[in-house]
Amino acid sequence: MIRRAIIAVVIGFLAGGAGDRGRVDAASPQETIAGAARKVVKIHGAGGVRGLEAYQTGILVSPTGHVVTVMSTVLDADELDCVLDDGRRYRASLLGVDPQRELAVLSIEAEELPAFTLAAPDPVPVGTRIFALSNLFGVAVGDERVSAQHGVVSAFVPLEARRGSYEVPYRGDVYILDCTTNNPGSPGGAVVDWRGRLIGMLGKELRASGSGIWLNYAIPAASLASGYADIISGTTSSDTESPSNEIMGPGFDPAALGLVLVPDLLDRTPPFIETVAADSPAARSGLRADDLVIAVGGRSVASRAAVQQALSSLAEGDAVRLSVVRGGAIVDCNLGPRPAAGRKR
Amino acid sequence: MIHPHSWPLRLLLWLFMVTAASLSLVSASIVCVSIVSAATEDLAFEEEAAIRAAVERVAPSVVRIETAGVSEASLASSAEAMPASGPSTGVIVAEGGWILATSFAVPQDASEAIVVLPAPKQETPPGQENAAQRWVARVVGRDLARGLVLLRIDEAALNQAALTAIPEWVPRGELAVGQWTIAVGRAWDGATPSVAVGILSATNRSWGRSVQTDASISPANYGGPLVDIQGRAIGILAPLPADTAGMNLGTELYDSGIGFAVPFDDVARVLPRLKNGETLAPGVLGIGYSARDPFTGEARIATCRSGSPAAKAGLRTGDLIVAADGRPVTRIAELRHALAPHYAGDRVSLTVERGPIGVPRRDGDTPQQDGATNQGEPAPQQSAPTSRIDVQVELVASLPRWRRPMLGIVPARSSTRNDRPGPVTVAWVWAGSPAAKAGIVAGDQIEAVVPPVAEGDTAGAGDSVPVESAAALTGLVAGTEVGRSIGLVISRGGQQQTIPVELAAMPADLPADLVEQMPAFAPAQAGPGLPLADAATIERLEAAEVAQPPLVVLPTAPAQEPLGVLIFLDLPRGPVAESQAAEWKAAAARHGVAVILPGSTDSQRWGREDIAGIKRAVATLAAKRAIDPARIAVAGRGAGGAFAWLVAEALGPVARGVALVDSSLPRQATVEPSEPGRSRWVLFGSSAEATAAAPLPARVEVDRRRLDEAGFAAGTLPVEHGGQLPTTVLAAWVEALGLL
Repeated sequence: MIRRAIIAVVIGFLAGGAGDRGRVDAASPQETIAGAARKVVKIHGAGGVRGLEAYQTGILVSPTGHVVTVMSTVLDADELDCVLDDGRRYRASLLGVDPQRELAVLSIEAEELPAFTLAAPDPVPVGTRIFALSNLFGVAVGDERVSAQHGVVSAFVPLEARRGSYEVPYRGDVYILDCTTNNPGSPGGAVVDWRGRLIGMLGKELRASGSGIWLNYAIPAASLASGYADIISGTTSSDTESPSNEIMGPGFDPAALGLVLVPDLLDRTPPFIETVAADSPAARSGLRADDLVIAVGGRSVASRAAVQQALSSLAEGDAVRLSVVRGGAIVDCNLGPRPAAGRKR
Repeated sequence: MIHPHSWPLRLLLWLFMVTAASLSLVSASIVCVSIVSAATEDLAFEEEAAIRAAVERVAPSVVRIETAGVSEASLASSAEAMPASGPSTGVIVAEGGWILATSFAVPQDASEAIVVLPAPKQETPPGQENAAQRWVARVVGRDLARGLVLLRIDEAALNQAALTAIPEWVPRGELAVGQWTIAVGRAWDGATPSVAVGILSATNRSWGRSVQTDASISPANYGGPLVDIQGRAIGILAPLPADTAGMNLGTELYDSGIGFAVPFDDVARVLPRLKNGETLAPGVLGIGYSARDPFTGEARIATCRSGSPAAKAGLRTGDLIVAADGRPVTRIAELRHALAPHYAGDRVSLTVERGPIGVPRRDGDTPQQDGATNQGEPAPQQSAPTSRIDVQVELVASLPRWRRPMLGIVPARSSTRNDRPGPVTVAWVWAGSPAAKAGIVAGDQIEAVVPPVAEGDTAGAGDSVPVESAAALTGLVAGTEVGRSIGLVISRGGQQQTIPVELAAMPADLPADLVEQMPAFAPAQAGPGLPLADAATIERLEAAEVAQPPLVVLPTAPAQEPLGVLIFLDLPRGPVAESQAAEWKAAAARHGVAVILPGSTDSQRWGREDIAGIKRAVATLAAKRAIDPARIAVAGRGAGGAFAWLVAEALGPVARGVALVDSSLPRQATVEPSEPGRSRWVLFGSSAEATAAAPLPARVEVDRRRLDEAGFAAGTLPVEHGGQLPTTVLAAWVEALGLL
């Protein structure tokens, strides 16, 4: 063992004398992290209200000081600071936001900064090993760099999440990470693969819509690239209504299809069918009273409220297909095109 | 690898490097750096590729589980991650459509679940499965000890890919801590399984029921396989709690780096029984221990439940369990470890030591002191012979419903602080109780008891067992059925006599003359002519890190005089005013009860954050004054009533009584069957207009019946219509909690 240690020391010594390590193509994990961390900044802004933290993370995406981060209350401040990996501090200004993707771009006045190249790569496969670099819990209090964590990409799926009781507007695919990244201060952090390539950015602290578990996730690089481009070119505007609001629009009453579900008494009422109106689309499709609805258009629905929401989110004229459980088997019923949403009674 | 294993080669390399360094051959050093980096990088990416290959090996057998038709009302909603609240995972374990999942995905009351089979990504966008992938699965068997559920779908549903991917299993004996573990789930995405990577943290956890990993385990992969680097299954991921005798949710540890999987050996053993449609329950023995801490306490039986496997095998109070399944046992934890892997119906061999060593008093918080007193015990106890008895017990799934029996005596106060082993003094006798009928009177000293003959045991009939504390007597009474007789060996005026007393059920309601039945708290009478209210003071229970210390109404008495404790939670209105506390002074003084009056942190509601403060307040009081552990109760009014139930749950078995005024149980309350050492006296009071036929509002009556059915004493607290809080009755009830 001692001999091994000596060899390691010698190698370390020689490596130290070798000069420019960055030129070696195959980087060690330490070098990958060091290289990526230079492109990550700590952001200090507003907070303190109701216990909200006043810090997060951002990533440098241009040598001239453009920082992409998560749109949050931290940025609602007159004085925003970005702290670079080497401890340099800059006052930052907010260039613009993309409310749909919940992204923001800041600008600091600096030149020749190390920066990630934003591109739209194919998603990396599940199982890819990653490093996450972020200002988690604000523990990097001084001039030191952000914290590094390691893990793997666990899944690449649409984000269905909530913050408190509000569904988040972002509907694109995100990386679910096997790495505990849902920490205060982590939003805006960089996720890189073991070659140091940016694959995503850590998002806000969110819970999964269904199970309520905290999510460790990252917004993929491709989405960052298009969001950044939109903000820089001024094609996003913060005062347009987000599509999620449009979806919510007027509620759709399933009675228009001749379908009456059981009353919604519990928080998660199982969506049993109470009655089916004679000679209605529901009746013609073969639905019967006491059927349990388990999917709308192939998408799982666990509660009566979820059925209502799934039907409301279809557009007028979209085909309505319900899957129900009846006598231990699944029956698919096609109800034809969805009628227009009636006025709320 | 860069480290050659043969010594000459290593020496060569070493010499080469020393030379290289001394000659400052820069080119050579760059070569070295390249070797190091390339090796690290290759290893990292080879590992990544191996992990992905391992996942692909089992992926077609990993399915998504959705729950159909389960409402929140049937779920324990207090947990952060709720069962059956989103999709979870399952794994195909055998040809014929057999799929294992967890009871997290398929709760107790669900008889079927939806299985979504994996689909190729290019065909189906995530979340939009076609009908052919979705199948209704029937629940065939359950393993309640490990939280596993065996499902079955139509065998025609499984294609060749799924069948060939049925995992090959790693025997538990081949597992080594530190090896790669990969958790595979299917909850997020129908096409690609989710992956979490870690190492094996331990090969034996959850009292022998699981292996442990530091990969992120959550509802997303519960039910999925934990595989090794070759894609062989180590076990089924499940939310097993690390340390509980029973099964609670076990989801608190999700994504924490502390995850569990039921190892294959266990699954293989039970699979045939599960396929057979069996429900496998954890095996129950039916004993309670005298020691409180399972890691330091010996396995001496304090309570032996009537009708339990232990009682049928002839075990009884005072026996010391010294071996289980042929393995020696010195502590409760060891016994638990031996018993936990067993199911109901399993036969276990036990060895007990029995001798005339008496019923031991309960271990206090200060073991050193206990040691000191034990050494001072008279010699006969050590010299008396003990016998070793071997028995076979057949564990059962559940014990007969237990209802706390009573003699009708109320022992004098005692506290762990100044408890000396010795006979139990009767402070007063419950009117109309068996003890009263048998002629037991206040002042009698209970020196020993003659237990009823144990079922199936003839050896020890008629032996008397010395009584050294009220707690020991409680244990003996708890294990005896209502209707059977215990002989009380009492001394009265220097005369010893044995009086048989037939046990009756605990009363639920309070008699109208409760306050008159009991003597007043002795120190309160010390100053004749003094108004009672002056025999109590109001103080603040200052404690570290408590911003708003609760008020406490303290009876004037020497510090070593054991007090009862009542925690009263009023409507949440922020801090409690001294004027409100003053209303309790007379009651506290009359019955020797310290009344803790916490305020709510939020002025609108009681919250979980208040519970921690209340626990600390009790600890502060216990440090200050002697407390009788048998006389601690929580009461509340309105929202404080429902909260009182939660506080009692948080305090645990030490809270012997709960009184709710103008309140029902909290919506999420779960009522476990009453057990010795975990039984409570629950009172409901209502200030609304009541009739003789319906003394309580309907909602409250439902709760009262629910508790009654679970074996609790659940009765009515008399509250005047629209009237004052019955402070004196509540304080008297705290004294009455000592009823045996």
